[in-house]
Amino acid sequence: MALINIATHEIHCKIVYYGIGYCGKTTNLQYVYKSINPAIRGEMLSIATETERTLFFDFLPLDLGTVHGFRTRFHLYTVPGQILYERTRLAVLNGADGIVFVVDSQAEKFEENVQSIAELEMYMRRLGKDLSHFPFVMQWNKRDLPSALPVHVLDRYLNRRRVPAFEAVASSGIGVFATLRAISKSVIAQL
Amino acid sequence: MEQLSNLVISDHELEAIRATLSKLLHDTSASTVMLLDKSGQVISNFGNGVRRNVTSLGALLAGAFSSSRQVAELLGEKDFRTIFQQGMHENIYTTLVEEQWLLVIVFDKLTHIGLVKVLSKKATDELVRVLARVKADTSRRKTSVINVEFRSSVEDTIDLLFRD
Repeated sequence: MALINIATHEIHCKIVYYGIGYCGKTTNLQYVYKSINPAIRGEMLSIATETERTLFFDFLPLDLGTVHGFRTRFHLYTVPGQILYERTRLAVLNGADGIVFVVDSQAEKFEENVQSIAELEMYMRRLGKDLSHFPFVMQWNKRDLPSALPVHVLDRYLNRRRVPAFEAVASSGIGVFATLRAISKSVIAQL
Repeated sequence: MEQLSNLVISDHELEAIRATLSKLLHDTSASTVMLLDKSGQVISNFGNGVRRNVTSLGALLAGAFSSSRQVAELLGEKDFRTIFQQGMHENIYTTLVEEQWLLVIVFDKLTHIGLVKVLSKKATDELVRVLARVKADTSRRKTSVINVEFRSSVEDTIDLLFRD
């Protein structure tokens, strides 16, 4: 839920990166943190297990500075991808203004991706939101791996709503900012 | 439960929020009193206990609260409306304001938890009234801020800043 504070001239928006375990959600945020102008970003916070898997969420605040009289901030979150953390995913989704669904393009991950998007749809309904009318973009990640499914296959089965989708190799930064630009603009358009 | 898509807080309402938080801070001798949106955004922050990392603190406290509500559901408990975190020196009491905001009080061992509970309940009642006014006013005020020029300026800024 975007917070527009007229008194302090601030606008805050929350963007959540969603997807299965090891699909590259944290990698997206790490690349943004590493590559963006340091003046724009705050500290990145990661609540991870000892083996560096996301336990609760990653958090990266971005501050666009003052635009048209309002200080505009985007807060990026990831959910934990592992199946057992389903309740935690719902907790992180609470109050989201936009969602990036990160897909692991590998053929062997296809079924898991399908289940994950079904779970997201269910959670959004529970939160009283319809994904068809909500800022939502897809990212086809891991395009560099040999078993990556063709984009048209992913698009047909995972992108029923035909939302904007971006090919990515998050580990080397390909597609990371294109995805971030798209979801940020979509969130602003929906304000 | 339908979630709001926006919440617009005016000067007048922020003043009312600040007055409530300031009074609570003073009367409980807490080190910090914060009002958060449940999405983790800090609406207002009073006191000298937390000067740095307010943004991260907001995200973590809202995350912990949201997580505890999932715990409640798993236990078959209707809801947990408050959380108390007890430390060696500092304690944190977090309570829900309707379904939208979180009131957070950070206090040390010189303040009794009973006082915090009672006074935060009074403050919550006041904040519920402010929230009702904010909700009623949101759509009218939003159009005065979020116009075509604003959206176009933000889009330009996004193109400029979100790149390799």
